[in-house]
Amino acid sequence: MLEFRTAGFNPYSTKYSPFHDSRLAVSAGANFGLVGNGRLYILNLTPNGIACEKYFETQDCLFDTAWSEQHENQLLTAGGDGSLKLFDLGVAGAFPVAGWQEHGREVFSVHWGLVEKGQFLSSSWDGTVKIWTPERKESLVTLPVHSCVYSAQFSPHHPAIVTCVSRDSHLRVYDLRTKASAQNHLTLAVPIHAPPKLPVPGYGQGSVGPSECLTHDWNKYRDSVLATAGVDGVIRTFDLRNPSGPVNLLPGHEYAVRKISWSPHLSDVLLSASYDMTCRVWTDGSNVEKGGNGAGFGRELGRMDAHTEFAMGVDWCLFGAEGWCATCAWDERVLVWDVREYMRPA
Amino acid sequence: MANQTGNMHDAQNRLSQVASHMNATGRAGLLEKRPDDIVVTAALRTPITKGGKGGFKDTAGADLLHGAFTSLIQRSGIDPSLVEDIAVGNVLAPGGGATEFRAAALAAGFPDSAAVRSLNRQCSSGLQACVDIANAIRSGMIEIGIGAGVESMSTQYGPGAVTEFSELLENHPAAANCKVPMGVLSEQMAKDRHISRQDQDQFAVESYRKAGVAQKQGLFDEETAPLKVKWTDPKTDEEKEITVSVDDGVREVTMQSIGKIKPAFAKDGSIHAGNASQISDGAAAVLLMKRSTAERLGQKVLGKYVSASVLGVPPLLMGIGPWKAIPVALEKAGISKDDVDIYEINEAFASQCLWCAKELGIPMEKINPKGGAIAFGHPLGCTGARQVSTLLYELRRTNKKVGVSSMCVGTGMGMAAVWVSE
Repeated sequence: MLEFRTAGFNPYSTKYSPFHDSRLAVSAGANFGLVGNGRLYILNLTPNGIACEKYFETQDCLFDTAWSEQHENQLLTAGGDGSLKLFDLGVAGAFPVAGWQEHGREVFSVHWGLVEKGQFLSSSWDGTVKIWTPERKESLVTLPVHSCVYSAQFSPHHPAIVTCVSRDSHLRVYDLRTKASAQNHLTLAVPIHAPPKLPVPGYGQGSVGPSECLTHDWNKYRDSVLATAGVDGVIRTFDLRNPSGPVNLLPGHEYAVRKISWSPHLSDVLLSASYDMTCRVWTDGSNVEKGGNGAGFGRELGRMDAHTEFAMGVDWCLFGAEGWCATCAWDERVLVWDVREYMRPA
Repeated sequence: MANQTGNMHDAQNRLSQVASHMNATGRAGLLEKRPDDIVVTAALRTPITKGGKGGFKDTAGADLLHGAFTSLIQRSGIDPSLVEDIAVGNVLAPGGGATEFRAAALAAGFPDSAAVRSLNRQCSSGLQACVDIANAIRSGMIEIGIGAGVESMSTQYGPGAVTEFSELLENHPAAANCKVPMGVLSEQMAKDRHISRQDQDQFAVESYRKAGVAQKQGLFDEETAPLKVKWTDPKTDEEKEITVSVDDGVREVTMQSIGKIKPAFAKDGSIHAGNASQISDGAAAVLLMKRSTAERLGQKVLGKYVSASVLGVPPLLMGIGPWKAIPVALEKAGISKDDVDIYEINEAFASQCLWCAKELGIPMEKINPKGGAIAFGHPLGCTGARQVSTLLYELRRTNKKVGVSSMCVGTGMGMAAVWVSE
């Protein structure tokens, strides 16, 4: 396990570069992001551990970051002051190369288009998701959600599909091909707290109350499958072909789940970071080769509990062996580790 | 400077957002203790006695209430001058009992600064009183209050209980249904929903059995406050002073003995005196405040109030009220039906209580573990407040946590509330 200390700053998010296997970005804020400056770290994995290649300072906490899918040196940040900033590692100086200011409150997530790589999006506490292109100063589209949006993403399979999860316990699906109407491209709003379609052992059948949803991620292999998680500590998987309720529930975290990420290598594996200070690896039970039947019961595969404060961010390394990941937590640490070393015996 | 205040405000907002992420949900969240919880620090009732012949047959409703009030003050040790409002559920008293209940509070030792009102939501009046007080505390209108309920069916039950309907109401089909006697409509419902007499009798015998066991083991002692009253011996016409300390409706009942009773509402009917709630007298009171207040005053917390629901059903199907109300209260509390340890569902009629339980899929052992209104009576306005003490003491005794109290309501309503024992 490799470790980097973000002394004086509490990390909120970490992302591997899609271009370099040894490059990592971490967005952070002073004083747990409550008040004070933000900082964006660019880290390099070297034979001698993790080295900080560069960092950028901002006036408010950076809640999230996303690498450009077009340009290896550029990355985007989500600011507590409602701003989006694009930084370029190749440009000398401490300032961003571009900035956007439309959100009225904290921006909680940014995501770069994975199919249409000329676009990115942002989601904010102001209750909107905005879609942008680096060339224009104004947003292309604003999707009103009317509830604090903690996480928004482009589908990795289709350029016009955008999803988000929010405080109101709903997963929303937008299709930008639909006509702009009173619906504002909204095609589906799935209540996350709805009872599962099939009973899950150890979990009551009744509907539990709504609870804030903090994170979600698209499965990289199955184009209709997503996972969500939030304040109730339960990770849920959804299949948009049958969206009335979750397919699978993965209970286990003792407190809110802050971030989840599906593996880029294995279609059934995902990683989570929680306020209970643990990062856990899960299977949703869908892998036929491993004894799952396509809709089997999920379970926890392993957990890493080296963090000593709220775990906030996780990301998988896209390159090389299939288990490497990075996690960050409010203990001012970024850890890079191999999931396979933390697997429980089956 | 203005900018700085803005920053502080933002920091405060971000902090409370992170704090809100730490709130556990579901049952775990329900069991957490928070300073702004609405807690019960005392809950008690008088014994419940048979209408017309029991220990309270000659006692006015207000006197029963007075008895509950004095016991509540004594047991909780609360300074009566701290109580800001008292709500009393009652169904039958003329004028809602508003005047004599205020008088009963004064006589019990509450100073004139303590406000009193009566309210009537039929059989759920006692629960409505507790919920109203809890909501007034939650909203900040008052800090300490009492939810109570009382009914003297001996002195006030009769044909005069319902005002004659006007021509307008009589000619409106849905409105006219509000006047159909509950026995008659429950008989119809039992027939329509195929609830057999055998099943109803079984349920009733079970209620008697559970209440009998509970009474023998003294399980009602903690919630019951004995009361000294004047009582006229029907044989000698002699007025005596007696102390009533047990529910006198509880008795030995078997399938054989109950099987002999004739149907009360239809010749081929299934409902009779043995499998419907008894006509009774009694009073109950519940002391409510915020947890922070209880801690400041050194009041011992018995449990807390979590959520409540109230909604309407067709007047002719009033018995299904709990079936509709319970899921709503559970949803508001953020729990599922399996998270509940004990259900106190008022046994207005065995038929409707049984139907609701089956329809909701609640296991029978979770329902009314100390028996119910079939065994010891249903003093209309009192029942909702009575259930609170029955429920909280039973949860505590059995080391369980989450309870639901619920009842059907005449004219077609249902009410339910979620409580947590500590």
